[in-house]
Amino acid sequence: MKTAVLKKGFLIEKKKSEWRSHELIGFWALRLTLFLVLFILGVIVFDIVSKGAEVINWEFLTQPPRLGMTEGGIFPAIVGTFYVTLITIAFAVPLGVGAAIYLNEYAVQGKFTRLVRMSVRNLAGVPSIVFGLFGMAVFVKLFNFGPSLIAAGFTLGLLTLPVTVTASEEALRTVPRAYREGSFALGATRWQVVRTVVLPRAIPGILTGTILGLARAAGETAPILATGAAFFLPHLPDSVRSQFMALPYHLFIMSTQHHAISQVRPIAYGTALVLLILVCLLNLSAVLLRKRYRNRVAKGL
Amino acid sequence: MMKTNGNVKIDETSVQESAEEKPDQLNPDLENEYCEVKVENLNFFYGSVQALFNVTVKVHEKGVAALIGPSGCGKSTFLRVLNRMNDLIPGTRLEGKVSIHGENIYVSNTDVVNLRKKVGMVFQHPNPFPKSIFDNVAYGPRIDGLKDKAVLSEIVETSLKGAALWDEVKDRLNEPALALSGGQQQRLCIARALAVKPRILLMDEPTSAIDPIATQRIEDLVRNLCNDYTIIIVTHNMQQAARISDYTGFFLQGEMIEWGSTSSIFTNPQDNRTEDYITGRFG
Repeated sequence: MKTAVLKKGFLIEKKKSEWRSHELIGFWALRLTLFLVLFILGVIVFDIVSKGAEVINWEFLTQPPRLGMTEGGIFPAIVGTFYVTLITIAFAVPLGVGAAIYLNEYAVQGKFTRLVRMSVRNLAGVPSIVFGLFGMAVFVKLFNFGPSLIAAGFTLGLLTLPVTVTASEEALRTVPRAYREGSFALGATRWQVVRTVVLPRAIPGILTGTILGLARAAGETAPILATGAAFFLPHLPDSVRSQFMALPYHLFIMSTQHHAISQVRPIAYGTALVLLILVCLLNLSAVLLRKRYRNRVAKGL
Repeated sequence: MMKTNGNVKIDETSVQESAEEKPDQLNPDLENEYCEVKVENLNFFYGSVQALFNVTVKVHEKGVAALIGPSGCGKSTFLRVLNRMNDLIPGTRLEGKVSIHGENIYVSNTDVVNLRKKVGMVFQHPNPFPKSIFDNVAYGPRIDGLKDKAVLSEIVETSLKGAALWDEVKDRLNEPALALSGGQQQRLCIARALAVKPRILLMDEPTSAIDPIATQRIEDLVRNLCNDYTIIIVTHNMQQAARISDYTGFFLQGEMIEWGSTSSIFTNPQDNRTEDYITGRFG
């Protein structure tokens, strides 16, 4: 170091190499963490796909379980998840989008709206089992829906509400103020401004956010555990008051509650893969929707 | 005839708002004169910050009135008082009386939607909607409930012709409005405002965001339009005010320093501050 101070050029040289090695260490450490994350993810996906793909065939997707759920398929669980997701949409989308429109377009911004927003965001952090208990207390017991598609759908709806409200608000906020002013200046009422200028611009963003929320809801077990999901049903649900089988709950049973767990392990993996594909499809549709919307914005229509 | 018209209207309002009308009866001359826009003792506040101080002005029918003054002097705020666009900003407050066609527009039963149909507005930055050219111009009539395609087409054509844009866009009415150039977009916004058939057109620095040639076209357009509409234009550009306006008002720090015919303001200003501003000593 002393020689380095004496020889000016050498000093700079040395510092540069030090700086370089620090940079290299930092670079590789960070890169390693990324590889690690990808590796873990890859192992999980590989494990599920390799073990699940063996059992997935037409029969698995279209037949109900047989012989005490040791044979057969998972058709009722697929249908149940589909139905309960539809009810979740019907509950969460109008409520969430409506609330977001009110908060962003109508409400006078102040302490109250700040409080509401804070509450909504905190709601997103509530554990899903708490939503499940709440759903059981309110929808199953208080409203007397009983354990049913509608009780479970509403509970999942509550769970997705924070996501729907927040995503919708963000989408609404990206609509330029100039559009709103232009519309108001032409004598539009507030609702006309929202309907003709703001919503057409915001809907793609609202949809993408909502789909991502639904993807999470579709994979939840805890909220439907006590509100309507059934261990096994010999027939498909025939009304919103029916109990139902659902993919995540079926997976839970097959991997922890079944009397012959090791025997049905392949079915559990098959169920996991189907659920994974379903969630991926939902996410993919959100991505495609966003892409289409970007193209439309670029074209100015 | 005009005067009787004004009187009748005022009688109506005085029935509804007898308490508020009383002070004006002390000054019948002022009250009887019919004006397109009449602003009396206007004070305007953004929260606790006062933006306009005791502004009084009368704008007569047709012609162009220009509002000049340095940035932040309140001229845009004043303009937005006239179609109540400031209502959209939370925490604003207004004192005084603003009448359009003899009706106080700041009484509780004012139909703001209707007011904005009578008093159109063109903004500083062209703001066509992300819709087709046709849909932009048809926007106002459509939200008014007009659905007949033939009538809409006619309105769109007349409005685009009125804004001197028809020849440039008649073959591509279904193309996105955002594909037009800045100057064309601004004329489209004028056409969009005309389609609602306003009586008054407010323009908030309509040429500050576009190039000189497009600016000239808009100035020519303003001169043409003022035969049919009362135009109130805010401009940063004194030469523009001198070129296109019949009346000019000079704003400084929220006060209207001087108001008069453009020629007298520019050749023989009464107030030193006006003279300083128009001769370029500040601002």
